[in-house]
Amino acid sequence: MKIKAIAMNTFREAIRDRVLYLLFFFTVVALLFSRLLAMLTVGDRVKIIKDVGLASISLFGMLMAILIGTGLVYKEIDKKTVFTLISKPIHRWQFLLGKFFGLVLTLFIMIVLMSLIFIIIVFLHTSKIEGRLLLAVLFIFIELILITAVAILFSCFSTPILSSLFSVSFYLIGHFSWGLETLLRKTKPGPTKVLLQGIYVLLPDLENFNFKTEAVYGLAVQSKFYFYSALYGLVYTLFILVLAVLIFKKRDFV
Amino acid sequence: MKTIPRSAKGSAALSLILLLCLAAAGFLSLKGTLDKIPRKKIPGASVIYIPSGKYLKYVTFGYPSLVADLVFIWAIQYYSTYTIVDRFAYLEHIFSIIAELDPRYQDPYEIGALIAFSEAKDPKLAYKIMDLALEKNPDQWVFPFEAGHYAQMVRDYETARNYYQKAIKIPGSPDIVKRLYAAVGFKAMDLQTSWETWLEIYNTSTDPRTKKIASKHLYQVKSTSDIIVLREAIRRFRDQYGHNPEDLAELVPMGYLASLPQDLDGKDYIYDSKTGEVKAPTIWWKR
Repeated sequence: MKIKAIAMNTFREAIRDRVLYLLFFFTVVALLFSRLLAMLTVGDRVKIIKDVGLASISLFGMLMAILIGTGLVYKEIDKKTVFTLISKPIHRWQFLLGKFFGLVLTLFIMIVLMSLIFIIIVFLHTSKIEGRLLLAVLFIFIELILITAVAILFSCFSTPILSSLFSVSFYLIGHFSWGLETLLRKTKPGPTKVLLQGIYVLLPDLENFNFKTEAVYGLAVQSKFYFYSALYGLVYTLFILVLAVLIFKKRDFV
Repeated sequence: MKTIPRSAKGSAALSLILLLCLAAAGFLSLKGTLDKIPRKKIPGASVIYIPSGKYLKYVTFGYPSLVADLVFIWAIQYYSTYTIVDRFAYLEHIFSIIAELDPRYQDPYEIGALIAFSEAKDPKLAYKIMDLALEKNPDQWVFPFEAGHYAQMVRDYETARNYYQKAIKIPGSPDIVKRLYAAVGFKAMDLQTSWETWLEIYNTSTDPRTKKIASKHLYQVKSTSDIIVLREAIRRFRDQYGHNPEDLAELVPMGYLASLPQDLDGKDYIYDSKTGEVKAPTIWWKR
């Protein structure tokens, strides 16, 4: 109940945030812009609309998660409102999870709204609703849950600007881990390879949530890949959240 | 006020650490599982959506060279992935991006042309990349030189000659370009130009080795030219009398030749009256 109360409060706080509306506005503009871009291409216009649409949802969703997530805990500490909360019979982990679920709820509603606009635009061109696109959006949302957890983790011990930078780096590293895999393939067996292997498995592989190409081209994906990807995202999120709780528990607010 | 006992705090922290370890073990094993599941991909599908270098330059925020380096490194990996069957379809596009971003970067042109020639087996594409390189670097003789070399390898001697000629005109081109130009001229059967070029090399070179090479080639060009004239005269003689002349000297008084040609060393050409074949008295490269 306590987590729910904090989550609802965080949700209310987040939807009052101007950044959220600004980003939502830009997403809508980008989604509409995809129609204009499609007019400039030769060939499959719907492909461009799908590509730009999914990329906009993913990119602006990531910005929402990072820009709001990194400020959530920091703001409470900076404005000293955390003292009021901590003095109440609330555990620190409950406070943190409340913040996390509040932002996840906000993102969920934003994703639903963005997807609705996207699906309508695609529907106007193809006259059908494609389940694959919805599945791709679902995995974008799972990725955003993880990014939110990361943003909150950094927010526990750093300023919003630094936390945003760290979170964006996490996002970029996560999407470029294939580069490490390529390097790994070309490295001769030895201590360097072992080290690289360690870094490779430890770093997040956000490409596991990227089904945009498959959705656009209609490529088959094994159902167990979807299952393990979702599980990977949730377990990684749990790891990050536990780490955040451990850090937040040790944090001295004075 | 109710306080939480120290032992409870300790066990909570221990539980969290345990949960952290479990979660870490969980995502590590899941990562391994996911890596084992093959995922269908369209290799290089995103390549064609990379905008032209002209537009890409605007979003490099003042680091076009760095972006060119990265695209080049990526291209090397891309073209060494043999599973991408249609990877050569975007060769020109990719290397023109690098050219636009960093026009003075020489390696991508050379590697791009090499891939086009040796891997894609598309010499015309290799010439195109070298043309682009020359357009962006008009002071670099190496590009038309390499294009000429590719053309020579596919026995397109006319194209090779044109490229070598371009390379010669660029200041700083080494002597070998002129020698190749002369050699390719001979292959293209432009004996007059080939002779003039070898003669110029012979007369201007101070290097004894180059002089010797030029001399051998001059012998080759002259003997080839003479043999062509002699064969033509023998053919005309045979057409009129129904047999080959007994001796080459016979052709002069009969009016088929103005004078009897000799090789560069003043030796007579070897003639076989039975077959009508004419040969140079010396093998040119052994001279």
